[in-house]
Amino acid sequence: MTRRITGRRTWLLTGVVSVVAMIVALLATGLGRDPSVIASPLVGRGAPNFTLPQLDGPSVTLSKLRGQIVVLNFWASWCTECQVEQAALDRTWQRFQDSGVVVIGVDFEDTAGDARGYVRNANVTYPIVEDAGSRTALAYGLRGVPETFVLSRSGRIVSHLIGPLNAAQLTGEINSMLDASSR
Amino acid sequence: MKAAGFPKLARISVPGLLVVIALVASVAALAIVAVRGHPPVTRAQQVQQIAAGLHCPICKDLSVADSPAPLAQQMRKEIARKLSAGESADQIRAGFVAAYGDSVLMSPPSQGLAGAAYYLPWLVLACGLVVAVTLLRRWLRTPASDPAEAETSKLSEAQLRAVAKEVAQLRVEEPG
Repeated sequence: MTRRITGRRTWLLTGVVSVVAMIVALLATGLGRDPSVIASPLVGRGAPNFTLPQLDGPSVTLSKLRGQIVVLNFWASWCTECQVEQAALDRTWQRFQDSGVVVIGVDFEDTAGDARGYVRNANVTYPIVEDAGSRTALAYGLRGVPETFVLSRSGRIVSHLIGPLNAAQLTGEINSMLDASSR
Repeated sequence: MKAAGFPKLARISVPGLLVVIALVASVAALAIVAVRGHPPVTRAQQVQQIAAGLHCPICKDLSVADSPAPLAQQMRKEIARKLSAGESADQIRAGFVAAYGDSVLMSPPSQGLAGAAYYLPWLVLACGLVVAVTLLRRWLRTPASDPAEAETSKLSEAQLRAVAKEVAQLRVEEPG
């Protein structure tokens, strides 16, 4: 009888400890994660294709750029943080365009007039495309600007960078991909 | 004898029974409507229904249907465009999940680890019921008001065996 009661107590205690351990593990996992950082489900997958008109030039089709490393930067003329990274993007374009790297700016929630004015004043040299209706932005799971996607030569999304970039960060990303493809 | 077995039921009058049945039927009808919802009729209602199930990616706790943000407006337009192109509600939701992840859904998905949000409460409830029934049965079996029984329970197994042996011996010596 006593043995049976002891056995039941052991089972009950094991159950309670298991439930408490599960709750603690869930809380530890949830509380240890930064809620503002959301991993993009697109990283590692094929980049959604698009054909978008340039502000001043022919349309750009992503699939036609297969074989080149693509830096896809979502921006807007009204976005102050986009101005911070613009020089870095332009320097990267100037430095790597002969190494098979393409930088494309995707204008998000903007007017063509404002975008043209910004491009002219900031002396942007890489191609800028218009995303009327934000269909491309939605396909890339955009939450705001600036956001940048780095695509491999095979058209796979390698990284999703949120917020303004700096030249060192972008150069590091591109160099590691160039190194990987030269191996 | 049967009536004595169900004293409370026997006391319920016919009008009372009808009220209980009406209440149960009303609650069941409400539950069915709440779970199934009204099937959307117009395209705008379809858009509204799908948008209500999607979380506005740049808002805090607002659905795409309720958010005035430009991105949410574009999402509503995109839903309408996809519906016109013949996509089903599930396909449209899947498209947004592919781009934004499960966090774009207002309710967690019922599959995978997130499905725990649906079955865990039932599991906890079932465990609670088992514990409650076990405790209740134990309390009913060992009333604390009976000091003789309480005293008996303090005896060890060896003592209990000795008492049982003594009783058996007495029965053999004095049958009847």
